[in-house]
Amino acid sequence: MRKPTDRNSPWLAATGCIASVLIALIIQASPTRLVDGLTIMPTWTLMAIFLWANVRPQFMPPIAVFAIGLTQDLLTGAPMGVWALAYLVSISVFRFRGEDGMPRDLPPVLLRFGATLLLAHGIAFAAGSFALEQMADLQPLVIEIVASILMFPLPAYLVLRRRRSRGSGFIGG
Amino acid sequence: MASRRSTRHDGEQGIRFSRTLFIALLVVSGALIAFDRPASRSAPFASFRAGFTDVSAPLLDLVAKPLRAIKNIGPYWRRQGELVAENDRLLQQLTEARYWEDLAYRQRDRIEVYEDVLDVESAAIEDRIGAWTVADPRGPFVRARLIGRGSDAGIRNGYPVINLYGLVGRVYETGRRSARVLLLTDLNSRVPVMADRSNARAILVGDNSEFPRLDYVGRAPDIQPGDRIVSSGDDGILPRGLPVGEAVATRDGGWRVRLYSDQAPVDFVWVWPFQRVTAPVPESEPDIPLTEEAPVADQAGADQPGAEPAGDGPTSSEDASPDQGDAAVDDSDTNATPPDGTATEDNR
Repeated sequence: MRKPTDRNSPWLAATGCIASVLIALIIQASPTRLVDGLTIMPTWTLMAIFLWANVRPQFMPPIAVFAIGLTQDLLTGAPMGVWALAYLVSISVFRFRGEDGMPRDLPPVLLRFGATLLLAHGIAFAAGSFALEQMADLQPLVIEIVASILMFPLPAYLVLRRRRSRGSGFIGG
Repeated sequence: MASRRSTRHDGEQGIRFSRTLFIALLVVSGALIAFDRPASRSAPFASFRAGFTDVSAPLLDLVAKPLRAIKNIGPYWRRQGELVAENDRLLQQLTEARYWEDLAYRQRDRIEVYEDVLDVESAAIEDRIGAWTVADPRGPFVRARLIGRGSDAGIRNGYPVINLYGLVGRVYETGRRSARVLLLTDLNSRVPVMADRSNARAILVGDNSEFPRLDYVGRAPDIQPGDRIVSSGDDGILPRGLPVGEAVATRDGGWRVRLYSDQAPVDFVWVWPFQRVTAPVPESEPDIPLTEEAPVADQAGADQPGAEPAGDGPTSSEDASPDQGDAAVDDSDTNATPPDGTATEDNR
C-alpha cells in the first residue's frame, strides 16, 4: 500500500527544494542596500535548509548542506568553508530524528530552529575569526540571528500548515 | 548491524546519513577555512573564486534589476510634491554653476598646459569604467560588493572604485566579467588619507562600522571636525585627492570619517584604471655623479649659516674630495646648459 507521501511526484518537491534554496541564496547576496532602509537580511538559507532537512530529509543530505554553505561563502565573499561548516554541523546536531520527523506544532520547531541558528552562527563566528586572523564583527551576526528568529515563524507556519493539510507530506507530497 | 554502524537511517524517508561522508566534509570545510584566508589566499583559490563570481554575476544582476526598479518607486512618488521648490533651487544653482563652468574650462586649459610642460599624464574621466553593483552581501566577515564588469572591461586588482560622491573602495578580486570591491568599511581596508585643509596624514582603517577610523594621526593632528578627507596617494596604489569623507571627532578623542560615498546607495560605480606608482629602478651604472652629487653639495651649503646659494655647490664639492671636485666642475658646466629645474634655479 502506498504511503501518503508517495502519492504525488517527488520531482515537484525536488524542484521546490532547489528553487527555494536558490532563491534564499540569491536574496542573501542581493544588493539589499539598493532598497532604502532594508539593510539586514535574515539567514534565509539556513531557514530553507532547516525546513527541507526536516520535512524532506532525502533532499538535504550532508553533501547538499555542504554545497549550499560553500555557495553562500562564494557569493558573499566570505572565506570558503565557513558557512559550509556551520550549516553542516548545526543541521546534523539539531535536525529532528525519529519516526515522525518534524513535529506538526510550531513551538518545538521554533525552539529547534533557534538552537540551530545559534550554533551555526557561533561556529561561523569562530571559523570566520580564525580565517580572518582577527575577531570577526559580532554585531551583524547578532542582528542576523534576531532578524532570522523574527522572520522564521512565517515560513515555518506555512510549511506546517501545508503538512497538516496534506498528511505527512509537503510540496508534492 | 554492521550497516547500522556505518550509516544511519532516519525516519520513514530512508535517508542515509553516512558518517564517513560527514567526517570527510568536515575535514574539507576545515581545510578550506585554513587555506582560503584572505590574508594569504593562493592564486588557485583566488582564480576559483573569481570564476565562480563570473558565473553567478549574471544571475545576481537579474535579481538586482527588479530591486533597482523597486528602489526607484518610493523616491519617485516622494519627489513629486517637491518638484517646484527643487526646480527653483536648481535654476539658482545653474546660474551659479555657469560661473564655475567658465572657471573650470579656464583651469582645465591651464592644467593641460602644465601637464604638457611637466610631461604628466592623468586619467581622464572618460577612461573610467562604469559598472553596476550586482550583489551586496553585508556579512560579518567581509564588506564587499560584486560589480558586473571584470578584466574583459580592463578592470584589475587594486583599482580604486568611486561613485558620484567619493571613494567607495578598491577592487580586490577580478574575474573576467565580474569583480569584487573591498569597501572602505571592511576590516581589511587600509587607505592612506590626508586632510585637504592641512595635509595632515592618516590611515583610514575599516572596522566594519559605518564610520571608518583615522589611525596614525600623530599626537597633535591638524584635523578639525568637518575637514574634508581625501586620499593622499602615499602608497602609490590610489591616486591623490580622491574625496573620501568628512572628519568626525569621537568622544574618546579619536577621529572617524563620515564617508561621502554613503550619501547614496552604492549602485552605479566607476572603476578608475589607475596605474600603481612604482619605485624607480636604480641605474645600472653607479658612477653618475652629476645628479647624485650636486644636491648633496647644495644641501651641505645650505646647512651652513650665511652660505651663499650661488656657487656653493662647486666650493663644497671641491672641499669634499678630488673626485667630487671633478664632479663639481662638471656640475658648473652643467649649470651653463641646465638639464633640470634645480640647476636652472641655481643659475637664477
